[in-house]
Amino acid sequence: MKILSCLPYITRQITRHRVRSLLTILGIAIAMFLFTAVQAMNEGVREATTATANDTTLVVYRKDRYCPATSELPQDYQRRIESVEGVVSATPMKIVVSNCRTSLDVVTFRGVPKDEFMQGPGRVFELVSGSIDDWKRRTDAALLGETLAARRGLRPGMTFDAAGITAYVAGVVRSPNAQDHNVAYTSLEFVQLAGRDQLGVVTQFNVKVTDASQLDPVAERIDEIFRTAQEPTATFSEKAFIGRIADDIIELVGFARWLGLGCLAAVLALVANAIVLSVQNRISEHAILQTLGFSGRLVAALIIAEGVVLSLIGGLVGATAALAVAKSGNFALSVEGTSIPIVATPTLLITGMLVCAVIGVFAGLLPAWQASRREIAECFRTA
Amino acid sequence: MTLIQCRNLTREYRKGDNIIRPLDDLDLDVPRGDFLALMGPSGSGKTTLLNLIAGIDSPTSGSLTVDGTNLANLSRNQLAAWRAENVGYVFQLYNLVPVLTAYENVELPLILHDLSRRERHERVTAALEQVGIADRADHYPRQLSGGQEQRVAIARAIVTEPGIIVADEPTGDLDKPSAHAVMSLLQDLNESSGKTIIMVTHDPKTTDYAKRTLHLDKGRLVESDAPLEEAPA
Repeated sequence: MKILSCLPYITRQITRHRVRSLLTILGIAIAMFLFTAVQAMNEGVREATTATANDTTLVVYRKDRYCPATSELPQDYQRRIESVEGVVSATPMKIVVSNCRTSLDVVTFRGVPKDEFMQGPGRVFELVSGSIDDWKRRTDAALLGETLAARRGLRPGMTFDAAGITAYVAGVVRSPNAQDHNVAYTSLEFVQLAGRDQLGVVTQFNVKVTDASQLDPVAERIDEIFRTAQEPTATFSEKAFIGRIADDIIELVGFARWLGLGCLAAVLALVANAIVLSVQNRISEHAILQTLGFSGRLVAALIIAEGVVLSLIGGLVGATAALAVAKSGNFALSVEGTSIPIVATPTLLITGMLVCAVIGVFAGLLPAWQASRREIAECFRTA
Repeated sequence: MTLIQCRNLTREYRKGDNIIRPLDDLDLDVPRGDFLALMGPSGSGKTTLLNLIAGIDSPTSGSLTVDGTNLANLSRNQLAAWRAENVGYVFQLYNLVPVLTAYENVELPLILHDLSRRERHERVTAALEQVGIADRADHYPRQLSGGQEQRVAIARAIVTEPGIIVADEPTGDLDKPSAHAVMSLLQDLNESSGKTIIMVTHDPKTTDYAKRTLHLDKGRLVESDAPLEEAPA
């Protein structure tokens, strides 16, 4: 593998053409920053809306309603839902959001019956800081998802205001469920009374079923029970519910994929431009290398390798910056009380690097092939 | 003992509708250890002959045998490998890689050889010392004079220890003292290291350093000022 012996030569070409290399890397980094950010949004949507075999949660909502402010169901539906075959538990929730529009900084209060909740969905919580007992004891206490706590800089013992509610931070929790990352869990009565007097009214029920195969049949049974009620229900699997509520976001993120592809095209154009200019400026240098005994194939490999290295450095800088921003910002796209986190995982970095490597190869192929086919004597005559 | 043998060597180029023939049916023998100067007017085929002997161009017809290998039969990749082992090329305009130091320029051809880092270092240092430029090893070409650049180019040409050195007007861009130093260096390489040197030149004074001089015109040999048998075996 002669190309490995040539790595110092490639490195010197990059480091000693400093301005050209820096500008190329900067351009690639900017494009890869955007690409990775779009991918992080895509990943969040995919995670939030793709059903898996582990999904056993249904959301019972008011039929023909699409936001927490208008979905009102009697709390006493709980007993009737729990009596449906295949249902393990039903948790009533009153949801209040600080902003009904799509936003990156929405605070969502979920009022739940505390003891019941902690024996059901709350069992998966891992306490990061604070106290669960404190949360149970105080009426105005909230358990915050760690994304919300980090974004707002909230710690146990502090109070905060949002959506006209003043709450005390009793603890910060970590949950495997993405929907828990960006919410504040408080007592059901506290949220019901916080706005207008809505005791006995909830926004939705989160229903646990025995297994994933029961999601559709149980949903049908629940809706059938309340079909003729004054407040009829519409029941969906949690992922389908998110998909329905966040339809606009999903469409927007789907469009953003084109932006991502545009970023890749920009990277390709940048690297190709840098390589073509470099090869044109170095016709006689490549002829010298061939005179010294470098084969045409090795010269081509050097040109491609230079493109790949530039691509990888730019990709690493851009993708790392995007992930760092996403991670430190703890962003989540929220709509109607449903949050879709922007997922920054190392997989995105690896994907970005692979994409950059492939782009580097493609960008260098044509100029490398042309350089390898040039007649040496002709190069010296024209140089 | 003949090292290089050219028989009916012809090179043609197509330029538009015209066919240009810088070398026309040329016969030439170069013994091992020769220092041959090629002279002639512009367009007489000197550089074309040099490029063919160096393996960076291929003949249109005829044969060119170097140390038993007919270069006309080699593929591009085989020719590249052959060049790496057998030929060192010295250009008129030095042709050093501008972003590499003198040391790195000399090291460049050794990348193709299976040598350890230490062996490479020893060879580069020895080559730089041999041409008297070791103290400029860390300098970039832009920091060197023309004569110093040409010394580095010669070090690069000899670092792989090739049997043949071809030089295309090696003093064409140098002042008199530098030209003398470069020619003395080539002469020393020929006499003490036994390198076979073929040099194209326009300057009659530089032919004094060669063992014999051939004149080309219109792609053919027209005269020789030293008989072939006088060249050392």
